[in-house]
Amino acid sequence: MKSNPRALDRNPVGQESRPGFDGRILQLVKSVPELRAIESGQVDAVVDPATGKAFLLPDAQRALREQARVRSLLALSSDWCWEQDEHYRFVSLSGTTPGNSAPGYEGIIGKLLWDLPFDNVQEVDWDAHQRRLQWRATFRDLELRRTDRAGGVRWVSISGEPTFDEQDQFMGYRGTMRDITLRKQSEFLAQKPIRLACDTLEALAIQVCVLDSFGTVIMANKRSGAFAAGTRGIGAGVPEGANYLGVCDRARGNERADGVAIAAGIRQVIAGESPLFRHEYVCNSPSGRCWFNLTVTPFPGDGATRVVVLRENVTERKRVDGAARAVVSRKKAAERERGERVRGLDHRVAKGRFIANSLLAALPRKDTQDLHAGLEPVTLTCGEVLYEPGEPIRHVYFPNDCLVSLLATVEGRDALEVGLVGREGMVGVSLALGMDVSSVRALVQRTGTAMRMDAAGFRRELRKSLPLQRELYRYTHAKLAQARQTAACNRFHVVEARLARSLLMARDRVGSNQFLLTQEFLADMLGVRRVAVTKAAGTLQHRKLISYTRGKIRILDRKGLKAASCGCYEAVKDL
Amino acid sequence: MRKADPGGGEMSRTRTKRTASGPAVATIVMLRLYIASDAPNSVRAVANLVAICNEHLQDKFKLEIIDVLETPLRAVTDGILVTPSLARVSPSPMVKVIGDLGDKRTVLHALGIGESIE
Repeated sequence: MKSNPRALDRNPVGQESRPGFDGRILQLVKSVPELRAIESGQVDAVVDPATGKAFLLPDAQRALREQARVRSLLALSSDWCWEQDEHYRFVSLSGTTPGNSAPGYEGIIGKLLWDLPFDNVQEVDWDAHQRRLQWRATFRDLELRRTDRAGGVRWVSISGEPTFDEQDQFMGYRGTMRDITLRKQSEFLAQKPIRLACDTLEALAIQVCVLDSFGTVIMANKRSGAFAAGTRGIGAGVPEGANYLGVCDRARGNERADGVAIAAGIRQVIAGESPLFRHEYVCNSPSGRCWFNLTVTPFPGDGATRVVVLRENVTERKRVDGAARAVVSRKKAAERERGERVRGLDHRVAKGRFIANSLLAALPRKDTQDLHAGLEPVTLTCGEVLYEPGEPIRHVYFPNDCLVSLLATVEGRDALEVGLVGREGMVGVSLALGMDVSSVRALVQRTGTAMRMDAAGFRRELRKSLPLQRELYRYTHAKLAQARQTAACNRFHVVEARLARSLLMARDRVGSNQFLLTQEFLADMLGVRRVAVTKAAGTLQHRKLISYTRGKIRILDRKGLKAASCGCYEAVKDL
Repeated sequence: MRKADPGGGEMSRTRTKRTASGPAVATIVMLRLYIASDAPNSVRAVANLVAICNEHLQDKFKLEIIDVLETPLRAVTDGILVTPSLARVSPSPMVKVIGDLGDKRTVLHALGIGESIE
């Protein structure tokens, strides 16, 4: 600051007015060293002991005003601003927002930036930074990390530019500092799932490749490489940048077929024609046969079409599975052998086919053992007549999946169905009631298997087994009730409702929505002419309840068919 | 009080030499620096002083920084007229240095540790 000794105290009050100001200084400061300091511009303020107030000298005033202006601008973009002298020592650090007192930086004044305890910058980097400073270059966004007293990690970003005085003499650096801890944390957190996913991929015992729409591998986990060394086979160790489809297409020899299949599968998934492609294949490696399971799925996410190819070595699993299967089959074989030896059972029975007949299945296990000994499986073909009225009953039948119709024949007229036997019952109940002559014609309506037993054996078993008696009485009662209901139904209800009822009953007995029934049989069942059946079936078909083509019946809407039938179906169903 | 100030700089230096014969560095040096907020000379003074103290006194000093724009009465009672000014409060006697403390030798001299370096 240059004081002007010629200017005298003409205006002692006006601090801004330079002549008066100088006069006031001269009044206050009398000693030589202080005046000399003021002359050389080393003084910022003077204290007036009379008023007890300090006032700034004009140069300091200007500097502070300028500083305030710069800082208010900096406040918009940073947390702190700082200044360094020509030796790069910090001379000031101030928070630009109230209450922001640069925690941890109390000791920064007088120090060099590279003396501060930042731990993420190497010596070499500091050397580079110092060179930049020597060139008086502006530096931006130098990101520094330190650990605060509480052990937390803090990040700051620091930027600076050189300052020069009016004579273009270098004065030092000044700049800003921002706390970027939160940003760094969120960056880290944002990267975490990706990093986790990558780590997981690397740890998997599965090769993962991501292909673009041309089949080029744009990403592969390291496992692909690890596998390549140990095993061969299609898709082993296809590196990033190579074309997976090309590798498959080029497969030769034993691998040719697999290669073609895999390439076709991948192309399908890429084209979006298929959401998933699986292929299991074997390859011969020096260490033995290896099984691989290859899965191709579209890569989730929007943007370019990509597919993921997972290639898993399932050799171990195969071996374990194979061993387990061998154990099971050995066990089964042993059981079968034992069963045949002890009970003399036909092995087809031991396979559990008899379970299909619910009457037999309802019997307690210990009773069935002896019964089973007398049962033999037979196949009954459609149109086969088991009994004729008045003929002796030689065998009883427990249908598994065939359907047997019991028909009452009237002299001079067509037959009328009085009963239908399927998996729920037995053909030849008269025998159970003590009659060995059949009163009806038993006609097989649907080809299938049944368990057969000769009449003598059956009578013997029946005498022995109380549960069998109980089951058969219950069944006979249901059969009678059904016959009574059917008789009444045939008399009173319209053909269409009766047809619906018969179809539902047939469905229950077959255990399937689809079966073959000829129109003749349906006409017999309902005691009507074929024309009437055609008409009724046409109506049901029109209502989309069934489809009926060349005797092939398919129930489309069971609930609707139930609604179309008369109440007789519901009445006998649960007996 | 202020009447003693003129020429105090010269006198204090002679006194400092005397006290420096004793173990001045062993005892804690109490310093007061009077500044005017963030005015250019003041911030330089702080930086210079801290750098010098850290280098030569390590932890054997206590520094109080007084902003005369905030508490001018402290300066009045301590007989400080212009800022930046450095005052050595103890060991007595009181020594003063005026200016931005850019001249390291003067400051060390005033602090009474000039000889120990040379």
